[in-house]
Amino acid sequence: MPRRRIYNPLTELLTAALLVVLVLVVNRWEVSLAVLLLVVLPAILLSGRARRIGLAIAIVVGPLLISSLLLHGLFFPEGERILLDLGFARVTVEGLAFAAVMGLRTSVFAGVLLTAAMTLDIADLVATMTHCGWNRKLVFIVGSAVGLIPQVALRGEQITRAQQARGLVVGAGLPSRLRALLAVTTPLVIGLLVDASERNHMLEARGFSARVPRTSYRPDSDTPGQRLFRILLTLGVGAFCLTWIVLVVLT
Amino acid sequence: MSSFSMPAAESSARRPRRLLLVLGVTLIVATYVFLVILQPTELTGGTGSAAALVSLGGFLGGGALLVAGVLPMLTTSSLVVMPLGIALNIAIGQLAGSLGLQIYLDAIGTVLVAVLAGPAAGAATGAISNAIWGLFNPFALPFAAGAALIGLLAGLAAKYGLFRRLYLAAAAGLVTGAVGGLVAAPVAVFMFGAAGSPGTNAIIAVFRSLGDKLLVAATKQGLLSDSLDKIVVFVLVALILHALPRRAIRQFPFARTR
Repeated sequence: MPRRRIYNPLTELLTAALLVVLVLVVNRWEVSLAVLLLVVLPAILLSGRARRIGLAIAIVVGPLLISSLLLHGLFFPEGERILLDLGFARVTVEGLAFAAVMGLRTSVFAGVLLTAAMTLDIADLVATMTHCGWNRKLVFIVGSAVGLIPQVALRGEQITRAQQARGLVVGAGLPSRLRALLAVTTPLVIGLLVDASERNHMLEARGFSARVPRTSYRPDSDTPGQRLFRILLTLGVGAFCLTWIVLVVLT
Repeated sequence: MSSFSMPAAESSARRPRRLLLVLGVTLIVATYVFLVILQPTELTGGTGSAAALVSLGGFLGGGALLVAGVLPMLTTSSLVVMPLGIALNIAIGQLAGSLGLQIYLDAIGTVLVAVLAGPAAGAATGAISNAIWGLFNPFALPFAAGAALIGLLAGLAAKYGLFRRLYLAAAAGLVTGAVGGLVAAPVAVFMFGAAGSPGTNAIIAVFRSLGDKLLVAATKQGLLSDSLDKIVVFVLVALILHALPRRAIRQFPFARTR
């Protein structure tokens, strides 16, 4: 069961983003591993959607880690300590270490952001953006696009089935697949443009272009305490990053 | 009186927008120059902490500034088509995967919006599309500036009538893909160590086995894969536009005049 929402979506997204920034700046495998085990893993387990988030992270990160290991593990010309020489490829200690550090960092990047995004209530995020006075056009685009994605995917599937019923056969070659894609995409785009045209008239009729403040029907989940927390967190991480870069990276 | 004061008010409103656009472009160019021309040497010895941060912050921040500068310029008809383009990018990207295509096709929506609503709408669609996609696939997030550039170039190609002929659309796709590949390569290298799909990594592995540096190998791969991808995307969009009823195109002032 999804957990009860305590924090505002902006607070959660900003915390996740700043955690990624910290991991990138410190850039030590020990820190990446610690964040993965002490922050990401508990957050996933407490999210109430542990299986879904774990599966999503595995699908997104898994292939990338395998690719990284094969690429740097076998092809790292800068590597000097050779473990295995295969002729066309060499397994080096440096290559494997590079793949491991990059893999850990990438896992933290995807783990933190996916956990934050998959526990996020998009409607709540859009409402928060409205309450905070974000650009109304941006709020419309984000809210509308997120709502449209499943509809477009569903309509695409329906058109594909309809075209297959009319005799569309997808062959093995690239031209055949592109023809199939065109047969699905064209009616999909025409339908969506007709919808967009109707939406255009409806928005204009309801004063979308007017420059007056917007009203959200959802209550604002932001609090002065969270606003202060976001400012302090940003300043704190900014100061830490600056100090770290000056003291550790540049010296 | 008001008719005389309107242009002055409009030009003063345009100034901060232009400033945002200039700042966004400057930040993206400066980030690219830092990553490619100055080439941080720490990558092969470590993993480039400052470079990764500059890559993420510079390209993402530049993309955000571009969007902030572009959004006030857009009409409602451009705005309603942008979510459609974003949804198409994600849905067709997934459909291409299910059809077993070896190219991404995740910029069809961006290019379509750019051709219908202009370069500004195309650039904003590209950047916002990657930001929203980042909610489902965080690896898309740092490529927002490259996606904005693809939308901008596609819009410019439409402005000069390059989508009227298939071979011209293919040529425009080739150039756009090459530019997109050049911009995407440092992001892929400094953020993710150039790890990607098995297909793209196989190309990088070939160049690495020939002794190329990681950034050089990733740039060559980007030039190859992105150019092919954008040729296909531009030709597909030109074919879709050809099949669209005139009524559907006429609702966009930019497309009406092209």
